[in-house]
Amino acid sequence: MKGIYYPKLAWLGIKRNKQVYVPFMLTGIGMVMMYYIITYLEGSDALYQMSGGRQLQATLGFGVNVMAFFCVIFLFYTNSFLIRRRKKEFGLYNILGMGKWNIARMLVWESLIMYVIAVLGGLLSGVLFSKLAELAATRMIGLAPTYQFSVSLKAVRRVLFLFAVVFGLILINNLRSIHVSKPVELLRSENVGEKPPKVNWVLALLGVLVLGAAYVLAVSIKEPLQAMVWFFVAVMMVIAATYALFISGSVALCKLLQKNKKFYYRTNHFVSVSSMSYRMKRNGAGLASICILSTMVLVTISSTACLYFGKEDGMRIRYPEDIVLKTYTLDENAVGALQALAWNVVSDAGEQIEGEVFYRYLDVIAERREDFIATNDITLGFSMGTTSTQIDFYIVPLEDYNRLTGEQEELAPGEVLLGVSRGSDYSYDTITLEDWEPLRVKRVVRTLPPNGADNADIFASYWLFVPDFERYAAFYQGERLESLPVSTYSYYGFNLSADDKAQRLIVSAICERIGRAQIEDEAFPHVWVESIAEEREGFYGMYGSLFFLGILLGIVFVFATVLIIYYKQISEGYEDRAKFEIMQKVGMTEREIKKSVNSQVLTVFFLPLITAGIHTAFAFPLIQKIMLLFNAVNISLLIWTTIACFLIFGFFYIIVYRMTSRAYLKLVS
Amino acid sequence: MAILEVQNVRKVYTTRFGAHQVEALKEVSFSVEAGEYVAIMGESGSGKTTLLNILAALDRPTGGSVLLDGRDITTVKESEIASFRRDRLGFVFQDFNLLDTFSVRDNIYLPLVLAGIKMKEMEDRIKPIAKRLGISELLDKYPYELSGGQKQRTAVARALITRPRVVLADEPTGALDSKATDELLKMFSQINADGQTVLMVTHSVKAASHAGRVLFIKDGEVYHQLYRGNLTNEALYQRISDTLTTIATSGEEG
Repeated sequence: MKGIYYPKLAWLGIKRNKQVYVPFMLTGIGMVMMYYIITYLEGSDALYQMSGGRQLQATLGFGVNVMAFFCVIFLFYTNSFLIRRRKKEFGLYNILGMGKWNIARMLVWESLIMYVIAVLGGLLSGVLFSKLAELAATRMIGLAPTYQFSVSLKAVRRVLFLFAVVFGLILINNLRSIHVSKPVELLRSENVGEKPPKVNWVLALLGVLVLGAAYVLAVSIKEPLQAMVWFFVAVMMVIAATYALFISGSVALCKLLQKNKKFYYRTNHFVSVSSMSYRMKRNGAGLASICILSTMVLVTISSTACLYFGKEDGMRIRYPEDIVLKTYTLDENAVGALQALAWNVVSDAGEQIEGEVFYRYLDVIAERREDFIATNDITLGFSMGTTSTQIDFYIVPLEDYNRLTGEQEELAPGEVLLGVSRGSDYSYDTITLEDWEPLRVKRVVRTLPPNGADNADIFASYWLFVPDFERYAAFYQGERLESLPVSTYSYYGFNLSADDKAQRLIVSAICERIGRAQIEDEAFPHVWVESIAEEREGFYGMYGSLFFLGILLGIVFVFATVLIIYYKQISEGYEDRAKFEIMQKVGMTEREIKKSVNSQVLTVFFLPLITAGIHTAFAFPLIQKIMLLFNAVNISLLIWTTIACFLIFGFFYIIVYRMTSRAYLKLVS
Repeated sequence: MAILEVQNVRKVYTTRFGAHQVEALKEVSFSVEAGEYVAIMGESGSGKTTLLNILAALDRPTGGSVLLDGRDITTVKESEIASFRRDRLGFVFQDFNLLDTFSVRDNIYLPLVLAGIKMKEMEDRIKPIAKRLGISELLDKYPYELSGGQKQRTAVARALITRPRVVLADEPTGALDSKATDELLKMFSQINADGQTVLMVTHSVKAASHAGRVLFIKDGEVYHQLYRGNLTNEALYQRISDTLTTIATSGEEG
């Protein structure tokens, strides 16, 4: 009899407070499920046997830790609502003669029950959904699905362990908070008279300034590389400013409105404004968290989605032609031999070559100093303080340029065409190399020779199209070659009519022939072979797994947002009930009350969403530039994925609003 | 002329499944003249709170009518009830019912703001009332900074600022200490002397002894009433005590 008493009491306690416990359990179940799925995928054999799958697993390996981190945070957060609600009950037990030790025993049982429910429910749904997730993952990274079903014992063990630790920590925290409190305080803990919120003007002002600075920073950065570095600074600033603004700024705004008597003492504003300042004081931090989580969801999913859906475009930028053969020579005979070799292989395979590209170039690593291109004493790499002046500097014969573009450009000696990569600009009339006479820039052109390696690296590139290529080649190959990072290339790329599988065969045949040719003829140059067909799997694997992880994290964030919102509504409901009774007695009609409640709840609810939207909008220029580094140049795609994400997220948000505000109104009326 | 006329008011509560019926008020009839100060006394469960709720239009009677200035408040439409209550009645509650989120000034303004009164008018009205109730210095404080007596005076100010036909007070001294009780009762007498009609529900003999007339309710009926006539507060106190004893003992016999 005695043995079963405590579990029973614990179970009754949970049942009686199901309004707050059910969401907690659902959180637990959801977290366990997501954690199981991620760990399952990370160790899945089916995925490991595919090369794209291994890429995904590496990404997920990172995801597992992020997931575990958020599990701890969210469960702790929801628990804080739980324990606040139950303190009164514990106080009553204490006064009725239950010692703290007895309450502790009950709490232990409660934690145990919650743990079992969360783990059982979570594992069950995790096992069910893990296969679905695996299918989705394989589909997304473009692999053939497998249909065998399995349970990963390793993942189960990890789940059991992680959540035992989390629930243990929560229990310890609860025991501590019960232990330090006095019974009378426990009884009254829910309604202690509240002081009016004090306005921290400094913090509010700081919030406005920091946010403004972050926004200015976000829109003013031009270079992709700068964007990458400053992005994190801007994120930190925005997070800090969001907290400051939601906590102090909102209260400050309410206070300002209250000072404006004409505005404040109106039926519509009076109650709303004054309660809003209290609401914001209590909820500022929570709302800021919602806002930041929402922004993260939006940014993560929209950018990974953009990468994913733009992956073919991205690949084409990295691999402009199906097959690219780059030789480290300017010798046209050698290139001719290589071309013949490729033609032979392709025609042996019964396929056709379509669209050949050929040009020669010098690749110089240099530093741009206004209109001077320095190749001596340059600082390589990139650091945050300096502007990124390191550039990729290419020199191409004019005839090759004319062949590539179909133009008939003619240049006098000392005249050049200057090609400038995306995101950069050149506004001088001349350009100076070494200690030579300045060269006259006849025209700045934007059509550049296809070059995947250049597109893939992070530095801005400048192309010099010159009529007297030999002079440059001689100079850079001759006296300066030893000391300088200068390379000479002949670029030969072509497309094929074949599918990926046939292309892979062709590529390996080409490689084999080149190997043979190099043995037979020592003069045969070194060749760098790139094939889009061979890279596609890895590429899809990378972008697919990023998107997949983005979605998983997005789900978790949405989950967290929903939860915070729900608890907010419930706890507010309890607090507001008494207030609205008074207002009704003083002569507020039920309709007025409903209207006021609605406007406040709407504000509290949609403020984070709207702010998240604004944050995302301002982050957009930065993200777009960072995406350039990932070869995602399709701005309209990014705009659409961002908007779509916002709409989908907003849709979920509104559903949650509907559901929770019903629970809220039930409490209030 | 009678401001408030209560005629044959009956209130029956039915338990949820209709198994039991509890008759909170049987047949209550009385009237209050303009400028009167009436106390309604009764023990817990005698039906006095039910009666007050009906007078305040917070609850509807099962039968009978309540006329305020000749208009039956039991037939006022649901949508108008709030503004009806706001314009014609002032309330003082045992537990003050001040809003924590408002300063004292805003708490007092609340009914006026709800009625859409102009800022200037509100300022004109609050000054004399705050002065009379001795809370002029407290206007910018918040409820958590006030003592019980100060809170109740704020509540009285809030009740008076709409210039109601009747102030309904529900056990206004219930949560106060004896000093604050004395002060508050003195204020009620003053307000009444200025012509304000007051109806107070209480089971405190002391509170009732300040009234001009005392109604006794027992088992849902008006059992007896006492007029002050020329009696002092102390003498009225004695009479009320005697009456309560009689009621209590007669209950035992019956």
